[in-house]
Amino acid sequence: MIRRPNQTRTIILLVAPAFIFVLVFFVLPLVFLLSQSVLPEEGGFTLTGYFDFFQSRVSRIVYVRTLKLGLIVTGICVLMSYPAAFVLARMPARRRSFLMSLVILPLMTNAVARTFAWLIILGRRGMINQTLLSLDLVEHPVRFIFTETAIVLGLAQLFLPLMVLPLVSAMENIPDDVLEAARSLGANRLTTFLRIVVPLSSDGLVLGATLVFTGSVTAFVTPAILGGSRLLLMSTLLRQKAVILFDQHAAAVVAVVMIVTTLAVNLLLRVFRVQQT
Amino acid sequence: MVSRWMYLSLVILYGFLLGPFIIIFMASFGANATMAFPPQGFTLDWFTNVFETSQFIDSFWISLQLALLSTIVSLIMGMPVAYALTRFQFAWAGMVETVFSAPILVPGLVIGFAMLNFFVLLGDMHVMTGLFIGHTAILFPYSVRVISASLRNLDPYVEDAAVSLGANRLRGFLLVVLPNMQAGIAAAFVLGFITSFNNVPVSLFLSGPGVTTLPVSMLSYLEYYFDPTIAALSTLLVIFTVLLVQTAERILGLSQFV
Repeated sequence: MIRRPNQTRTIILLVAPAFIFVLVFFVLPLVFLLSQSVLPEEGGFTLTGYFDFFQSRVSRIVYVRTLKLGLIVTGICVLMSYPAAFVLARMPARRRSFLMSLVILPLMTNAVARTFAWLIILGRRGMINQTLLSLDLVEHPVRFIFTETAIVLGLAQLFLPLMVLPLVSAMENIPDDVLEAARSLGANRLTTFLRIVVPLSSDGLVLGATLVFTGSVTAFVTPAILGGSRLLLMSTLLRQKAVILFDQHAAAVVAVVMIVTTLAVNLLLRVFRVQQT
Repeated sequence: MVSRWMYLSLVILYGFLLGPFIIIFMASFGANATMAFPPQGFTLDWFTNVFETSQFIDSFWISLQLALLSTIVSLIMGMPVAYALTRFQFAWAGMVETVFSAPILVPGLVIGFAMLNFFVLLGDMHVMTGLFIGHTAILFPYSVRVISASLRNLDPYVEDAAVSLGANRLRGFLLVVLPNMQAGIAAAFVLGFITSFNNVPVSLFLSGPGVTTLPVSMLSYLEYYFDPTIAALSTLLVIFTVLLVQTAERILGLSQFV
């Protein structure tokens, strides 16, 4: 490490430009947003915005629905990723790096394109309805779009890579010897998986779950396309209040509730990590 | 240890992850305009339609400029921060790290909304400037983290050696450190570019009349039309991304930074 007398000055010079940028262009607007949520245009400090939000049936339903779908999506992602991540982590490096790049690929494509596919699959004349109709299982097309199921499917597909990546990197660090030891001491596959692999990869699991959950409760594109105004989540509610109802005060309240929710989840993650070490 | 049904889980995972892409791909060549599945016939009309829709072409250029500009600026400003964090020990390093990872913790939609209220409505800022500022801010976490990782892999004594041999700090950085960080910088660039190019939440509120990014204009197209044009455009974007990511992965091993 470099030590010299004017070190503090050097550090300040290095950090200052970007720091000031973030402070002025990122922190300041958020402070303004916070003030908007407690200072309505009529003037005076008030918390009625928050009372209104939690007393209104509609926004309570939307908030609970957002959290509920976030939990379901996280659960689905955990179930789908866990065994698959284990297989990936045990693979020869060459094959694994190819398969991992296929996991990353969807992350690098925009959400509109990825959500659009679900319209083709779930639409009135989409894949599933055509199949159901041709098998005479239903008489009329079933409405899948604008349902919670559609949003859950869309979000799970969107955020699955964020669960797979940290799980694989956590499982890569489990030595083969540990697994062999468990097996030779008489544990069957399931026991080894549950009692050795799961505890040793809990770091990756918690990180992945945090990313998927916070991603799901704040995502906009998927609920906008697959839920529309009929099935609002927090993000689409924020958009509706701001753009359609022009109620900046109420929109600011929704925005602050979204920030607090994601920060709380991230704080839980930090607590978990401290306990681990 | 890896049993046969565990391989099945791999099939399910990849089917779910990549299936939608195959469906988009098939739909973009289908002749029927109503998006029925399976598509009938074969046509390239939807691709022609993409290039004839000025909304897409205009917003593509805006997205491209925006992604290049904000990535470059966030890298130039983020690099000194990463350097300070990896080469010096100071009491408020943790605070600096928190500030620069904050844009990832705050929902993108909220960032866009807050910036719209503060800069565009209150400060009368130009729409494009607002978009540029928003995108640059959300890219800092990526550029600082990736550049820091690449700096940590470089032995600080190499640089000290250059300095002890008479180079000043800046010369040492430009001639010794920078050439050794090429891979990290390129990875940060690709990651930043893609993050900005695909962003919807931040751009949504900050877009204005005539100034819209490509993903946002795709979203608003979907509000009025439901035809395979979006599928064709998505196919083009996937091909573009695959080429970009595969090139980066082959040259740099991008996945180690994600």
